Amino acid sequence: MSLFELPILSTLGPAAAGGCASGGCGTGGCGTAPAERTSESSRREFLKTATTLTLGAMSLTLLPGVTAGDDTLPLPPHGGDGHGPAAKPMYGFLIDTTKCIGAGKCLTACRVENAVPDGQSRTWVERYVHYKDGRVEVDLVPETGYAESGEVQPAAEDVLRAYFVPKLCNQCVDAPCNQVCPVHASIKSPEGIELVDTDRCIGCGYCVQACPYGIRFMNHDTGVADKCNWCYHRVMRNEQPACVEACPTGARVFGRVDDPDSEISKRLATVPTNVLKQHLGTLPLTRYVGLTDEVT
Amino acid sequence: MTSFNDTRHLWALGAFLAAVGLVGMVVRREMVPDDFGTKGPYRASALDDIAARPSLFQADATCHACHESVEHERAGKPHEAVRCAHCHGLAVDHVALARRGAEDPTVTLPPAAEWDGDFLTKADLYISKDRATCLSCHEAVVGMPADFKKIDVAVHLEEQGASEPLSRETCFECHGGHDTAP
Repeated sequence: MSLFELPILSTLGPAAAGGCASGGCGTGGCGTAPAERTSESSRREFLKTATTLTLGAMSLTLLPGVTAGDDTLPLPPHGGDGHGPAAKPMYGFLIDTTKCIGAGKCLTACRVENAVPDGQSRTWVERYVHYKDGRVEVDLVPETGYAESGEVQPAAEDVLRAYFVPKLCNQCVDAPCNQVCPVHASIKSPEGIELVDTDRCIGCGYCVQACPYGIRFMNHDTGVADKCNWCYHRVMRNEQPACVEACPTGARVFGRVDDPDSEISKRLATVPTNVLKQHLGTLPLTRYVGLTDEVT
Repeated sequence: MTSFNDTRHLWALGAFLAAVGLVGMVVRREMVPDDFGTKGPYRASALDDIAARPSLFQADATCHACHESVEHERAGKPHEAVRCAHCHGLAVDHVALARRGAEDPTVTLPPAAEWDGDFLTKADLYISKDRATCLSCHEAVVGMPADFKKIDVAVHLEEQGASEPLSRETCFECHGGHDTAP
């Protein structure tokens, strides 16, 4: 039997098919006794066939248009053009950057609600200031708002445009922070909300490093990981998260995305939205209205 | 092949491995919570622990349950979206006392306190009739949406012909509280 009669290997050539295919075994190095000739040759036949099939299968993956797996990707949450595992989230969070006024009410509400220590925060509001000379500067809204904060404000005539971007946990469907926890203290709840089991957390901080959005932090008071959990305790009582409740302009919208009649479902159906760092494939559930390229 | 007759070593090895396995099982039983893995790769009761946290930030509906007149006063006004808690604090104690008072008439509610300048004041009910309350939203700051009502205090006061010096309650000399005119 000639290996090169197989259609697959005819494209590979002798080198790819291995040394034995060129008949080299007959010349030396294969010194076997005549009595064992039969079993030795059948083993060689097996090796030839196995090599052929393996190389043939490998070469198939090199051909354009042929993939080893299923190339029909499931739709990401809320539609869009993302990729990754299919998910049917219960809850969603929508941030409307065009409505945020930078009052900082959400920050205070979150700190009190979740006993977050001073100097740390589960949520924050960034201000992006695009100057007319091309510079873009980002600063953080003080918790009491800018009024009487003593901060020097940019002169309005130098500014091309500016806007506020509230940040909070994205509750990624494919959450990197969840995957790195060595003690299973990171919980993806049945509702799809990422939680920290503070009793189990050993404070190693891997999850803090793993979050690409910088949401997680080591709580100074408790010594364990802390993060925005969309006020899980409130949500379980059918209340709004504290930051949503506190927002006077409706820049933060929270609700059931599996209910087509909820406010967030209607907004998501009518307004174009984006997620942060979509290229990372973490499939965030927090979506933004009016996100610009500068915001990461 | 020579026969293997020193089986004592095998028994010793087997006993050692069995002991290691036993210790491992005991340690695992002690270390892993009973409800681990029943809902997912985590301690299932942690969900209940986290969900049991109290809700501190009161929704306006909580306040309006008693203060119906205020609800009517604010309905449809530009400041309807401003939460009670923004000017009066979280008033957690106040609400808890009021709930007890609904059943026990001997419970009396103390009057609202003066604002101490800290929006984080947790328990007490306060009345922050201070311009900081208004300006935390309305002071003209770069970045606000164009259609939001922005106030430059100096310019605004000059327009209104107000006299110096400014008091902390200067906003409330013209604008109402619950029925804040635009």
